[in-house]
Formats: sequence, structure tokens, C-alpha cells
Amino acid sequence: MTAIRVHDLRKSYGDFAALKGISFEVPAGEIFALLGRNGAGKTTAVELLGGFQRPDGGTVRVHDLDPVADRAAVRERSGIMLQEAGFFPDLTVAQTVDTWRDFTAAPRPRGEALELAGLAAKAGTKVRQLSGGEKRRLDLALALLGGPDVLFLDEPTTGMDAEGRRDTWEVVRGLAAQGTTILLTTHYLEEAQRLAASMAILDEGEIVAAGGMAETLAARGGRVAFRLPEGVRPADLPLPVTLEGEIAVCRADDPDLAAQTLLTWAAGRGLRLTGLEVRAATLEDLFLDLTRSAR
Amino acid sequence: MSVAATYRLGTRLFWRDRTMLFASVVTPVGLAVGLPVLMRNVRPGQIAEVAQLFHGMLAVLLAITAFMNIVVALTSRRDQLVLKRLRTTRLTDAQILAGQIASTVTQTVGLILLSMVAVRFLADVPFPPDPLLFGAAIVAGSAVLALLGAAYTAAIPRAELAAAYTMPIFLMAGVGAGAMGPIPLPSFVRTALDLLPTAAVVDAVSTGAVLRPVLNLAAWAMIGAVALRLWFRWEPRRS
Repeated sequence: MTAIRVHDLRKSYGDFAALKGISFEVPAGEIFALLGRNGAGKTTAVELLGGFQRPDGGTVRVHDLDPVADRAAVRERSGIMLQEAGFFPDLTVAQTVDTWRDFTAAPRPRGEALELAGLAAKAGTKVRQLSGGEKRRLDLALALLGGPDVLFLDEPTTGMDAEGRRDTWEVVRGLAAQGTTILLTTHYLEEAQRLAASMAILDEGEIVAAGGMAETLAARGGRVAFRLPEGVRPADLPLPVTLEGEIAVCRADDPDLAAQTLLTWAAGRGLRLTGLEVRAATLEDLFLDLTRSAR
Repeated sequence: MSVAATYRLGTRLFWRDRTMLFASVVTPVGLAVGLPVLMRNVRPGQIAEVAQLFHGMLAVLLAITAFMNIVVALTSRRDQLVLKRLRTTRLTDAQILAGQIASTVTQTVGLILLSMVAVRFLADVPFPPDPLLFGAAIVAGSAVLALLGAAYTAAIPRAELAAAYTMPIFLMAGVGAGAMGPIPLPSFVRTALDLLPTAAVVDAVSTGAVLRPVLNLAAWAMIGAVALRLWFRWEPRRS
């Protein structure tokens, strides 16, 4: 079953085309990452998915409902953590959650929501005294109040410390394990790689790559990097490399095999390959390649 | 149910905001009670004049507690992105605004009734001869002023400017209702000021007129509703 369906979605602000016709689908119960640099169109996409703005063209459906026309019905089943949304600074964390529980059908108990977001110890603290990361946790607590089937998280861990990010990842994984569909935007590639089953990379309002996370990365092969031995020119090597400073980088479909080839070649000449690093492609490689080639 | 939730929120925030309480409660009630009491002491025996002054002060209460208060509350919540967050809930836009307007109406009507009782005992201004008409006029007047205030936020670029932008409205309402004493005005200005919704409330309360005020408030309500629909902004301008 498809929980989120986006087809040929377009949105412009004046002359600036924020989204130039993007399409993707997210199956129910899956974590989907929407990646891109700042200004790539991620937040615009989330705002259209949340029904905050009307698209200029194309369609958005959440559980087959139009988030603009059927906003209240979509909200019954979804939670949204916007990149930027305000709080009442003089209310405490507990009062904030209580206020928002008032707007939610069948809300989680306050304690449970705070526990989930790791804010139980801050219940009595005024919102204005929270750190950026703690505010993000409160954002998350509010987004989860209604026990949503679909969760939109726009840059959920921005401003959080390492512990906060790890806690949030745990919460997100836990929700997905219970069947919640999650669309998250992030520019932390590690976050997307750890959490998401599939992804789309946005660049300047267009999707430049999309698919299952594992397959996409596997198709990108990997890389072998090492310090180029003194007196050796890249052209001497048995495999093509590019130089990043004094580090030679060899991209290959099978990085293990490439490493073996290079080591055998070096051993035959009595050379040592120092600083050797062999790894499969990361989302970061893919992302940098794509956004670099797009420019 | 959901309007009730935003109503409770608006009310809670109204009474929590100490700075605004001074501006929206202490000042208007102080004026609406204080000036008639002062006049009662300066010009003894002129009950009719004192009553008229109090009726004029209703325009001030409406302009401050209904109009200015909702303008300040909505622009600051818009700029703090709280309105945006309210829209992440299952509330519809209409429910968010209706709850806020209903809350503003309650505070305004409550303060008018409080002032009415105070001037009865402190300045001998008699209770309204037609309580039903009085009640209907202040409820309808508060509702129309709150609606217009909500619509007026579209014209205000930033929250810090909200109070300054409402000042002309407050002055027009006050001068038009004679709350600031008899000020000689050219007749076209007089006519224009008499068209204000605050003037309609004062008209109903002081002369017992019904039709004129009803038409006036209905027209303003239409203007407010249309403006709200066309121009209301839920988020600060992006620029």
C-alpha cells in the first residue's frame, strides 16, 4: 500500500522555481529520505505534503487524500515536524504538550510523549530556556502526540548534539518498526543512510537520483584510497585513479577486488601502499557526485 | 470541540501576557471607569453627560480590547510561527481564527460589563434601560471588531509595528464616539467617523437605535470576512 504519492509536483515563488516537477512514492511503513543541499527544495516539498501551501501543478496525496482540500482528515493520521515552527516561550514544556494535546484526537499521555522525545526531565522548564536541540525534541514530542500513521520530519536532528541525534534515530526506527510511514528530509547523509529504506536526492528543485538505499549504493560501487608512493605516477598504476591531494582514489564496482589488484601490483615492485582505505560507496559519495555533476 | 480548544488557548494566553494585560485591560478599563468618575465629580448633577461619556468610552474599549488586542496577538503569533504550528494540528484555519475571535469577544464583553458595574456605583451611571439591546450591541460590536482586527493583521508587516498600526483606528474610534471630549470636526469627517463599527455600538447603546447599527455592523462583518479570506497571512512575509 502506498502512503504518500507525489506526481509531477511544481511550485514557484515569483521567478524562482523551487520544485520543477518531482514524483515519488512512499510505501506504507517505510522510511523515505528526501536529501539535498540547502535550498534544494526539501522544505517546499514538506510544506506541500503538509498542505501548508497549494502546489502550482502536479498532485500530492497522503493516504489518497489531498492535504490542502482534506487537511483536517490528513492531520488525523499524520504528524509534522516542521523545520521552523514557534512555541509559546513562556509556557513550560509540560504546558506546551498539554496545550497541543487539546488539539489532538486521542492524544498520547503527556508523560509518554515526553518520555519518547527524551524530555521527561525538562517537563517543568520554560520553553524559552530550552537549548536548540531540546526545542527540536519538543517539536518531535508534539509531532508524535496523535500517534500518526504518517510522519513528516523536516531536518529533525538539526541543532541536536550527538546523543540527541542517536536518541531521535532510535525513536524513528521504533516508530517505523510499528508501521509508521516516515518521510524525512536531512542534509546529514549518515542519518539518511542509517534510517531510510529508500531515498530521493533533490537538487535545484529536481530529483537527480532516487531508489532503494541499498541498491542505489551498491550500484555505485566503492572506492580504494591510498597514499601515492613516492616516485609513482598515477599512470603507472594498473587501475585508473584520481588524485585528491597526495591521496590516490580508485573507484571500482568491486572495491575489494580493486584493492587486491593494487596490492599485488605494489608487492611486485616492493612498494607499500600506506593509508589504505577500502570501502563501499556511501550516500555522501553519491550525493557529492550528483550535485557536482549537476552544477 | 476544536474551536473550544483554540478558545481556551486564546483565553489562557490573554491572561498570561502581563505587558498586554496592562495595555488591553488596565488602560481601557481605567479610562472607561476613570473618566466618567472624574466627570461626575467635576460636574455634579450632569448624570446624562456622564452616561454619554461612558457610552463613548465603549468605543475605546472595543478599539483596544477587541481590535488592538487581537491584532497584537495574531501578528506576534504569526511572526513567532505559532500560527504555523497550530496549522500542523487537525484544526482547520476557520477553527483557529474562530476560537481566537470568540476568546477576544469574551474578554471584551467581560471588561465592558465590569466597567458598566463600576460606573454604576462610582459615577451613578444608570444600568442600560434595555439590557438585551445593550448585551446584543456589545457582543456584536466585539465580534465585528475582533474580526476586523484579525483581517487587519494582513496590513501589518511585522509584529513590533502592530500597536503603532492600530493607534489611528483607536484615535478615530475614540474621537468619533466623543470619548475624548467634544472636538470640533468638519462635517464630512463627522459623517465618516459615524460609519465606524464602534460608532454603531455607541449609537445602539445611547439612542436605542436598532436598524442603523445592525446594518452598519453587518456591512463591516462582511468586509472583515472577505478581507480575512483574501489576505490573511499565516506566516511572516518571506523577504
